[in-house]
Amino acid sequence: MLLSISDLTKVYRGGTRANDGVSLSVEEGQVFGLLGHNGAGKTTLVSQVVGLLRPTSGAIAIDGRDAVADPGYARRVCSIQPQAQVPITGVTPRQAIDLVGRLRGAPRSLVRRRMDRFVEALQIGEWLDVDGERISSGVKRLTSFCMATVSPGRVVILDEPTNDVDPVRRRLLWTQVRAVADEGSAVLLVTHNVLEAERAVDRLAILDHGRVIAEGTPAELKTGLADELRLELVLEPGVELGAAEVPAFARRTTTAGNRLIATVAPDDAGAAVRWAGDLRIANRIEEYSLVPATLEDVYVQLVGRADADATAAAANATDSAAREGDDVRAA
Amino acid sequence: MSALRSYGLLIRWQALRYKWMLPMTMVVQALFALGIVAGYPLLFPEIDRTTILFLATGAPAISLIMMGLVAVPQVVAQGKSEGSVEYIRSLPIPRLAFLAADLSVWTAIVLPGVVFAVAIGALRFGLPLSVSPLVVPAFVLVALTASCVGYALASVAPPMVSGIVSQVLIVFVLMFSPLSFPAERLPDWLRAIHSVLPIQAMGETIRGSLATTSFPLSSGAFLLLGAWCAGSLVLALAALNRRA
Repeated sequence: MLLSISDLTKVYRGGTRANDGVSLSVEEGQVFGLLGHNGAGKTTLVSQVVGLLRPTSGAIAIDGRDAVADPGYARRVCSIQPQAQVPITGVTPRQAIDLVGRLRGAPRSLVRRRMDRFVEALQIGEWLDVDGERISSGVKRLTSFCMATVSPGRVVILDEPTNDVDPVRRRLLWTQVRAVADEGSAVLLVTHNVLEAERAVDRLAILDHGRVIAEGTPAELKTGLADELRLELVLEPGVELGAAEVPAFARRTTTAGNRLIATVAPDDAGAAVRWAGDLRIANRIEEYSLVPATLEDVYVQLVGRADADATAAAANATDSAAREGDDVRAA
Repeated sequence: MSALRSYGLLIRWQALRYKWMLPMTMVVQALFALGIVAGYPLLFPEIDRTTILFLATGAPAISLIMMGLVAVPQVVAQGKSEGSVEYIRSLPIPRLAFLAADLSVWTAIVLPGVVFAVAIGALRFGLPLSVSPLVVPAFVLVALTASCVGYALASVAPPMVSGIVSQVLIVFVLMFSPLSFPAERLPDWLRAIHSVLPIQAMGETIRGSLATTSFPLSSGAFLLLGAWCAGSLVLALAALNRRA
């Protein structure tokens, strides 16, 4: 295993437990996705890998060597595209990529060659010599990707690389992420964009409140949901569907804004389409879709369940605390 | 990757980042010196030769100190807020090379403007300066120490705090530091404070190297500045190396 994280815990000085017993490992040539809500502890995790933060407990090994004890080694063998925009004020993308590539120790000619390749593949040539202050945040993000991969570490960490990037270049970017892994780096990809991750990663872990709540290949995580379909209704403005109106075949119903999402068994597909069609004719919904369940459905289900468990645990704790309080008063 | 190669590349990077600052700094410093040299005589209409000498040699000292203690912390704090310091920290670069490159660039940005300040003072009062052969190392030491102290302040303190401290320093340097007037005018307790702070030593070093016939160039001031410079470097380095 190139990158191996075991039982990693990070508690900040204020008491926030950002990572709680995280274990995962990434092989050479693998794209490993780290998924989770904002605040799930993803960035804290990668900051410890590159030696910017010190773990409270646990171990990080890169190529068998202790990266916590030797942060200088960690920086040499990891390259990172940080979540925050890389400040390239005053320099052009060409200058920034060239300087970082050479600071990471690559010879000038190699830096040039790889820069040309990425710039062409991501179609950002027209901004290559424009001052950093005058380029859009999407192009800045792609520049930051090139800075992390022009002279890549054995472990390449990409923290939300597609934020602000347009849909066409997102696809181009995913191709390059795969290419970087194919060249032999272990790629740790941090994202909250589950749909895109499904296509880009070999394995993934879902992080929630600092803990890994699921890990596996996208296909493994979808087992159990594999045959299920997802029905999504877009309600007309002002229309509400009461629980009594939703047929029994629509399970695990959730609503978000004017959308109602439900899980449907394949045998009920016909009934679901007829029901949605009727709602459409009655002008109660704008449109509907019925598609195979995605990783996003797994994600929502898992994180939702973890949140419910956490809430229940907290409620229990409050109950028992209240009971103890009663006992004290009774005594 | 050798430290020297990192140093060279980082100098290039920082010089590109701060390229807009060189002309602006020169203008600000020139205006500053003009303000001191032309403004103080308005407050005190009758001035003698000693006072004139103090004003003319105090102006470059004040402008150097202001750049180091006020401008440097502001720009470094901005870099900390926007994440560029954190990014550099994630690269495989010797910390000392980064610090040395940043301070070299700062010193180079601050120094040219001082020539203006000296020239303005000399022209305004028709002052015959007697420049010491040590003028270059003296100016470099003062600029470097001022930048180091400002850098350490911004590295150690949160951006808000370093902003407030550098504002307070403006008043302290302008009004309560013996730069454009003799130290004897200060109350004893403030003189005692200034005997350990680097500000007075900076003023004396600049004065002594520009007007050798009127002011001594003391090795004690050089030593004190050296100590402040080294101490600030250690602090800034520790802040860069810290893993929360």
